[in-house]
Amino acid sequence: MILEALEREGVEYIFGYPGGANLPIYQHLHEHPKLKHILVRHEQGAAHMADGYARACGKPGVVFATSGPGALNLVTGLCTAYMDSVPMIAITGQVVSTQVGRDAFQESDVIGATSSVTKHSYLVTKIDQLPRVIHEAFHIATTGRPGPVLIDICKDVQQADAERVNTEYLEIPGYKLNGHVNLDGARQAAQALAGAERPVILAGHGVLLSHAERELMQLAEAAAAPVGTTLLGIGAFPVKHPLSLHMTGFMGTGWCLKAVQNADVLMMVGMRVDDRVTAKLSEFAPNVKTFIHVDIDESEMGKNVRPHIELVADARLALEAMVPQVTKVDAGRAKWLGQIDKWREEHPLRYKQSNGQLQPQDVLIDMYKRARSEAIVVADVGQNQIWAALWWNYDRPGLFINSGGSGTMGFALPAALGAKFGRPDLPVWCVAGEGGFVMTAQELSVAVEHQLDVKIVLLNNRSLGMVRQFQDDFYGGVRSQVDLTHMPDFVKLCEAYGLPALRVEKFEDIAPSFDAAERTKGPFLIDFRIDPEANVYPIVPLGKGLNEFREAPEYA
Amino acid sequence: MLEIKRTSAVVSPHPAAARPTSPHGGEVNRVRVLSLLVVDGQNTLTKVSGVIRRRGFHVRGISVGPSRQPGHSRITLQIDHGHAEADQVRKQLERLVEVVEVEDLTGDDVHNRELVVATVAASELDALLKRGAKVLSTGSDGTTVEFSGDADQVADFVNELARHGIVDVVRSGPVVMRKSE
Repeated sequence: MILEALEREGVEYIFGYPGGANLPIYQHLHEHPKLKHILVRHEQGAAHMADGYARACGKPGVVFATSGPGALNLVTGLCTAYMDSVPMIAITGQVVSTQVGRDAFQESDVIGATSSVTKHSYLVTKIDQLPRVIHEAFHIATTGRPGPVLIDICKDVQQADAERVNTEYLEIPGYKLNGHVNLDGARQAAQALAGAERPVILAGHGVLLSHAERELMQLAEAAAAPVGTTLLGIGAFPVKHPLSLHMTGFMGTGWCLKAVQNADVLMMVGMRVDDRVTAKLSEFAPNVKTFIHVDIDESEMGKNVRPHIELVADARLALEAMVPQVTKVDAGRAKWLGQIDKWREEHPLRYKQSNGQLQPQDVLIDMYKRARSEAIVVADVGQNQIWAALWWNYDRPGLFINSGGSGTMGFALPAALGAKFGRPDLPVWCVAGEGGFVMTAQELSVAVEHQLDVKIVLLNNRSLGMVRQFQDDFYGGVRSQVDLTHMPDFVKLCEAYGLPALRVEKFEDIAPSFDAAERTKGPFLIDFRIDPEANVYPIVPLGKGLNEFREAPEYA
Repeated sequence: MLEIKRTSAVVSPHPAAARPTSPHGGEVNRVRVLSLLVVDGQNTLTKVSGVIRRRGFHVRGISVGPSRQPGHSRITLQIDHGHAEADQVRKQLERLVEVVEVEDLTGDDVHNRELVVATVAASELDALLKRGAKVLSTGSDGTTVEFSGDADQVADFVNELARHGIVDVVRSGPVVMRKSE
């Protein structure tokens, strides 16, 4: 019953783990060859795999887990997807309906534990609810602002049979979709942007989710407005475009932060304007006279920054409506763009080269040369994430995947495997630090079992680098509990799991190691022993305004 | 020039006597009265209260009852929105799939009724009856009366009761409806 419904929804992959309370589903799995089930090694891995799959191919990721610990192990993965608006369906087994509430074996209040990290959730105790619930769940997960939906199904319901109901017709009275664009607002927004002396557009994940990259480009070019992206918005606007400001936020580029802090009109599209984007809120974009906010989720309006013009709409439709409304561009625009170019020269991205130690940026630059925007990069969380964001020239959408909102360490490996299932046609690179990597390293078994062609780039600095950097700079230089000297020998670990791996300690070994990785079909890991003192720059000290960003020292 | 539209918080006529303390300091103008039409379900109240807790809002009054529509209930909430923009409470609640609609009933053009049931010593009932209280029952430990009114009137009534030696008292949350035009 459940599996048939999934087939009808067009599901291809399920990432899951069986257990006592979902055995009835697994009993019939083999009767549905169209559904490919990937047996993970930990439920968190399943959630991240489904997440990576969904982000890479745009289809909702589907997860199975059993009751109690199985379902609870999904929580981090659900939260990761929820914070980043990723469509996902989690189907969890629950104890039989007559046992619910009696503290039965492996019973837990899954709805209660997950309701703050899901877009919606259902507890199904009667079979006649099930067909409607599954169809509704897919609709809710994938429409509007996407997100994870959890369906907790009692074991007796899994065993029951139901009439197939007509699921074409959906009636969800409480589910409101904001699609339409207020044309008057769009006109106001377009004219404010074009008529501004110092306009800036910031683009977030919503631009990618609604496939609005082309409309964004048209608006930016028509209004001659520079575009920065959030960490999750990377790819929404090509980094090498003359109007690109690259990444914004507290680890964004200096020229982008200067532009935001001096802008008089700021348009924020498909983004939440969270604390990583604004840094100290009271000092965010202090010269802006008109904030324009475009988002499909009405509750984002005024949550952090109160807009003067708000458009609650799909980003693509909103931008599309704005483009023809751009008529007269302010005469001072060339001066503003010239100023930004000057900031770009004054505050370049830079790093310490040739100090004898292997630099992470060298690794990423070599990687980019090979991939040339034809590969997906899945980053973990920490320094590796920001390096991977800043030192690649993403000029196409959907190539950079990371846990932006939740910042979940251990995301990269399972998400990269999921991404490869979703986009087998593209090379997939997993960039991770050794700290996050070991949090979900058990999923290497999945990579080996399915011979997934995922290349793992471990930026191994033998410490929790981002925490170490914060401690050095903002917590009195006291290094506390960040030493990761005692880690497995990753080459031997990979050997144990059954995949080839190399260790690289010198600059000149980077290229040959990538050659070896590219020659090898299937998973491959390179353990880059990078400079343990390498830092992320620019960075805004915690609690400070964006204008107080610190840059990398100027190296001779 | 562009027209700048901003929502302004409406001041609630909530009486000082009935004002519960709020974790955010209890500013009167941070209270909003919302009327929610919700789908009946096991999780509905949990979801609604979850949003309120997670977003840092604080419930001052709540009442729940069936609505005219079968399968739907009406929840009336008095909420302190704390540091958030006033309209955030409504927006956050409207996001919930269980919530069909949210109407902001903050302001003066509404009927805001609360109910109090109290048992008092049998003597001196006259003053209470004069205020409009109705006797529900009389027993050996006192007389039980009911009274309904707006928050001010109910608060006054409870103050009045105190002088008559309250045996027990219970108060409902508010039910609020917009005045007919």
